[in-house]
Amino acid sequence: MWECHGAPRGDGRRGSPGRGAGVVPFVALLLLQRRPVAGRALLVNGPGCPGNSLCRANVHEQTRKQVALLNATAQDLFSLYLKCQGEPFSSESDKLCNPGGIFFPAFHVNRTSEKKEVMVAMYKLFAFLNASLGNITRDQEELNPTAKELLDRLHNTTKTTRGLISNLTCLLCKNYNVFQVDVSYGESSKGKSTFKKKQQGCQVLRKYVQVIAQAARILLPHLSPA
Amino acid sequence: MRKNPSLRCLLALAILCLTSLVHSQEIGSPEDPQNLKCVTHNLRKMVCTWDVSSRRRHGQTDFCYTTNDHPLTECFKTKEKRVEIPVPESSTTIKITTNSISGTPFATREFEIRKKDISFIPLAPHILSLTPDFPTSTLTLKWSDNGSIFPYGLDAFWQIEILRKETMEKVTQVTYYSKLTHEDIILSWNWTSDMPLECTSHYVKIRCFINITQFVGHKDWSDWSPVEVSPGKDTEPHGSGVFPQDTVVAVGSDVTICCVHEEGQQIKRMTYGPEVYPLIRLSSRSSAIRVLNASASDTSGTNVVCSLSEDGMDGTVLFVGYAPDIPQNLSCETSNFELIKCTWKPGRPSGLYGKRGTKYSLFERISGKNVSCEVNEMNKERVCGFPVLGDQKTYNFLLGVSNPIGQTEASLLVDISQRVHPKTPEKLTVSGNSSTSVHLRWFINGSFAEIRLLCQIEISNGHSEQKLHNVSMPGGKSSTYTAQLNTLHPYTKYWFRVRCSAADHFWRWSDWSRIEEHTTLEAPPARGPDIWRERSPSGKSLKIFWKPLSLSEANGKIVSHEVSCYLLEKPLEYKEVTEPSNSTEIKLGRNDCVVSVVAKNHAGSSPPSRITTVELPSDNVKTDRAVAMGNGIYISWNSYPNMTCGYIVKWCHSSGSEPCSVDWQKFPSNTTDAVIKSALFRPGVRYNFSLYGCKSSGYQLLKNITGYTKELPPKRAPNFTVEETSSDSILVKWEDMPIEDCQGFLEGYRLSFAKGEKDALKPRLLESGNPELKVKNITDLTKKSLKILDLQGKTSYQLDLQAYTAGGLSPPNSLYVVTKEDSVGLIIAILIPVAVVVLLGVVASIFCYRKREWIKETFYPEIPNPENSKALQFQKNICEGNKTLKTLEMNPCTPNSVEVVETRSAAPKIEDTEMMSPAADTVVPEDGSDSETENHVVVSYCPPIIEEEISNPPMDESVGSSQVVYIDIQSMYQPQIKPEEESEIDLVTTAGYKPQMQLPISALKIESRSPAEEESDKTAGYRPQANTNTWNMDTPDSPGSVESNNENASFGSPCSINSRQFLLPPKDDEDSPKPSNIGWSFTHFFQNKPND
Repeated sequence: MWECHGAPRGDGRRGSPGRGAGVVPFVALLLLQRRPVAGRALLVNGPGCPGNSLCRANVHEQTRKQVALLNATAQDLFSLYLKCQGEPFSSESDKLCNPGGIFFPAFHVNRTSEKKEVMVAMYKLFAFLNASLGNITRDQEELNPTAKELLDRLHNTTKTTRGLISNLTCLLCKNYNVFQVDVSYGESSKGKSTFKKKQQGCQVLRKYVQVIAQAARILLPHLSPA
Repeated sequence: MRKNPSLRCLLALAILCLTSLVHSQEIGSPEDPQNLKCVTHNLRKMVCTWDVSSRRRHGQTDFCYTTNDHPLTECFKTKEKRVEIPVPESSTTIKITTNSISGTPFATREFEIRKKDISFIPLAPHILSLTPDFPTSTLTLKWSDNGSIFPYGLDAFWQIEILRKETMEKVTQVTYYSKLTHEDIILSWNWTSDMPLECTSHYVKIRCFINITQFVGHKDWSDWSPVEVSPGKDTEPHGSGVFPQDTVVAVGSDVTICCVHEEGQQIKRMTYGPEVYPLIRLSSRSSAIRVLNASASDTSGTNVVCSLSEDGMDGTVLFVGYAPDIPQNLSCETSNFELIKCTWKPGRPSGLYGKRGTKYSLFERISGKNVSCEVNEMNKERVCGFPVLGDQKTYNFLLGVSNPIGQTEASLLVDISQRVHPKTPEKLTVSGNSSTSVHLRWFINGSFAEIRLLCQIEISNGHSEQKLHNVSMPGGKSSTYTAQLNTLHPYTKYWFRVRCSAADHFWRWSDWSRIEEHTTLEAPPARGPDIWRERSPSGKSLKIFWKPLSLSEANGKIVSHEVSCYLLEKPLEYKEVTEPSNSTEIKLGRNDCVVSVVAKNHAGSSPPSRITTVELPSDNVKTDRAVAMGNGIYISWNSYPNMTCGYIVKWCHSSGSEPCSVDWQKFPSNTTDAVIKSALFRPGVRYNFSLYGCKSSGYQLLKNITGYTKELPPKRAPNFTVEETSSDSILVKWEDMPIEDCQGFLEGYRLSFAKGEKDALKPRLLESGNPELKVKNITDLTKKSLKILDLQGKTSYQLDLQAYTAGGLSPPNSLYVVTKEDSVGLIIAILIPVAVVVLLGVVASIFCYRKREWIKETFYPEIPNPENSKALQFQKNICEGNKTLKTLEMNPCTPNSVEVVETRSAAPKIEDTEMMSPAADTVVPEDGSDSETENHVVVSYCPPIIEEEISNPPMDESVGSSQVVYIDIQSMYQPQIKPEEESEIDLVTTAGYKPQMQLPISALKIESRSPAEEESDKTAGYRPQANTNTWNMDTPDSPGSVESNNENASFGSPCSINSRQFLLPPKDDEDSPKPSNIGWSFTHFFQNKPND
């Protein structure tokens, strides 16, 4: 079990954020929108892909590890988040955190989907997650400033997500010459009541736990060194 | 009057009229105006109303009034029963005449209204606005006091009633007070609901009471104003939610939280944190819970969740915390006269964080300047900065503390020039090219131009205590400060660090600067080395020793020593000895000189140390023992007045195989004792000291001293041997012990002895607690032997020898000695039996000699004819006694168990008897029965006379057992053994012991034996002198004897050596079968006649 408040435990499970070579684009610009916002993300700062120099040699391996890391840490993050919100979030997470009522990007790909399609879906997913994690982190910093471990985990997950987006950016550019993807960001929690903020974070993280596992299953075969 | 009846009638009529008039005034007719009431709302006009009880239709009413201050009567007609007229000063006379529709007066009535009959009832107030503040659950009510119509200064009381829910349940009623100012003032009143205003509708109405003291009439509350409503969320078509939202309340508060839902939904439950609370129904769309005495919530607040039907959930968060505590230990100081830093401790945590956390502001009252403080909630100490204001030294700070629950403050008046806490000095540098002084520079960031600084320099050199050097200097603005340090020691590594404070009003030291290291330059050694000299045993050379100078004396690194020898200022010898040597040898022959030693380092030479080589003769030098004292050795000596230049105690350290190193210590001439200490001293090591006296003419050996810093037990016991042993004494001798083994001054030996065998398992003698242990203590160290007396003969003794010093006993050396046997007793024990034997022999010899003829005739007749041998003259009834044959007398005849068997078989004819020990062998019959052994005939016999024929049955005979005593018959009969049997017999007789009689053993019998038995036979140490298998112990009539195939038919006689008779069958009878049961027994022998 985790302790919500106090110094973080040194369990060595914090992921080192992947530092992709690409540019971390756009996501922060639209974090504060109140409603789900659709946008066209510019993957790079230019009209096209800059070439192979965007990607490092081990981008596949790094991306695979980042997804695996997110998948490995998602459940712990969710559990710790619930604990830090107080009861009845832990005991009634099924109802309180039911993600049915929130926006979450569709992730209708499977192992047989085309690689490009998977990559684009992944990009949309992690762009959304990155924005949502930013919202959650901001809310928790205000609401739970003493929950050091939760904040550390949120920061680390956000960083890993950011690195993953960079790597997906480079893969999309390099392999498919895709440099624009339409993405949707979640509803901003700013201005909502504290309860709604807690609930929204809970809903997003629960969905994140479900989807990241699916993403890991789907993405990893595509990223395996063939 | 009684006489005038008409007068009487007039009087009665008048009385009747008057009575009627009075009656009409009090009761009146139905058309009379009644119940005239006058009420004023503003003290200027009053409204008068009256009733008419008749239901007849009336026309207009004439209303006339006359006030006492206005004599004119005012009249007017009115259709109502209500008129408004001025309020009179004192009273008003009112005349009201009711008329019919046609104008005919019905009735007229006059009223006098005095002022006290007038009631004062203000008009109902008018609510201007009712404004709800949902976050705070506060209603704000506004209304006008209508004060303009009243005189100035009247007291007004406003009664406000709050109602809620659809049923308009009264929640509270409060009275608000105000003073009328003869102006219309809009009054405002706030009310905080204990229930969020969103939960349900709240209603407000108000009335007033104006307390005018000058008004003597009846005063009363006004009517209630119309109700004003603050609608709840449950009245909105789609209003829903849990209220209040994100509210902060104090710990211990009672809180109402409601859940408003849409039409058609139902509330399943409401939880506060983990607990479910009972629902309080407010309306069809709203319910609430009431939390009493709320406890502090978690950092993220306490969740209140409303579970609705169809799995709908809504909620809110309640933050329950404490009002801020009064700041503790508020303190302000400046480190640079640019910023005042105030610190404090927040006290009890409020339990509220983030935007609900405690806010601090610093307000300076003199300047009126206010700053808000950004504090870190995670720190235990809060810090807030306030800029230093020009020309202001005194600051009166007010620290304001607030959070959503409450606020508090703390104040501090401070003279900032007395609260200077400089920053840590930086950039410390140390420089200097002197052996005794350095120059320090450092920098302090801050404007200290108006104060003096006191700086403290810590000086440490690693081998002495730290020293602090204070320097006061004028402050500057972000300046570099310097200090000079003198009186340092040459060639010493120093560490410096600095801290500063205000010099005039000390408040706090700054932190120490980083440490800076510096080594001073070298200087010539401060003094010459301490020297000593010793002549070689041959006296031709002189060895000069010097001690190294201490670091504080060397003033640098000593590189060499100059040694020179002067005789009358004339140099005889000069040497320069480089480090690290601390001695040298010079050849002087028999000359004497003055030796001079100078220590040199890179900076110069020390003053010379001088010593003369002259050694004055000494007489009768004694050797004393020294006493250990602490970790040194205490020595003392007599005062020698002629020793003018002191004493020298010299000793030598010896470590292993290296030559001993000379050491010495000098003492002034008035000293007579000293404790010699040295780090090289070791306990248990003997040190020899020599005390020299110093005269101007030379040194003289005064005495020798030997001692230990600590005496230890000897390392071992002396070796000792037993020199001599007798039956009652042991003489032991031991050797001297080497001094190094003694480890102290030997005080004696301890010899312990007690009876004891040499047994490693036994405890040591000294540890055994043996009560017979005897101890001899030998304190005469010259004695090297000891005779232990009074010991027991032929007894083992254990001897333990130990040496001992003041430090204790050595480990023991042990010996085991057996004393000799007592020889006299032994001799006696031997001689007596020998003498007895000799005596018996002599007696026997004499007897034999006297009876020699008889013996000869009896036992060894000259003609060895058995017939002539009386011994073999077997006669009948021999047992009946023949007095002549004494040797064959059977009186008494001791019966013995003997089984006599006649053997007759095809086996080798053995005409011998053999006796066997029943214990030697037992042959179990093949059929396993033991009947044979049971059927043995144990006979008693009188061996000497056997004349009966013994049949020798041819059958096999089983082997039985019988107790017999065998005798040596070998010498009397040697059986003949067939050659072919020899090998088999050899087989049997290969054992260590050979029977003295060779018996035939059938091969069958040998084969029947098991190999184990054979092996047993071979390896047995002792055997009976017969082959027991060849013995047949069966009686002749036993069944076993019939079947027995035992060809051994011999037995031995257990009788006297003089009574031997071989009971062998005659040879001619061997082949003739005879019944096997024809045996004989000694009973037969004695009872029956022999079978002739």
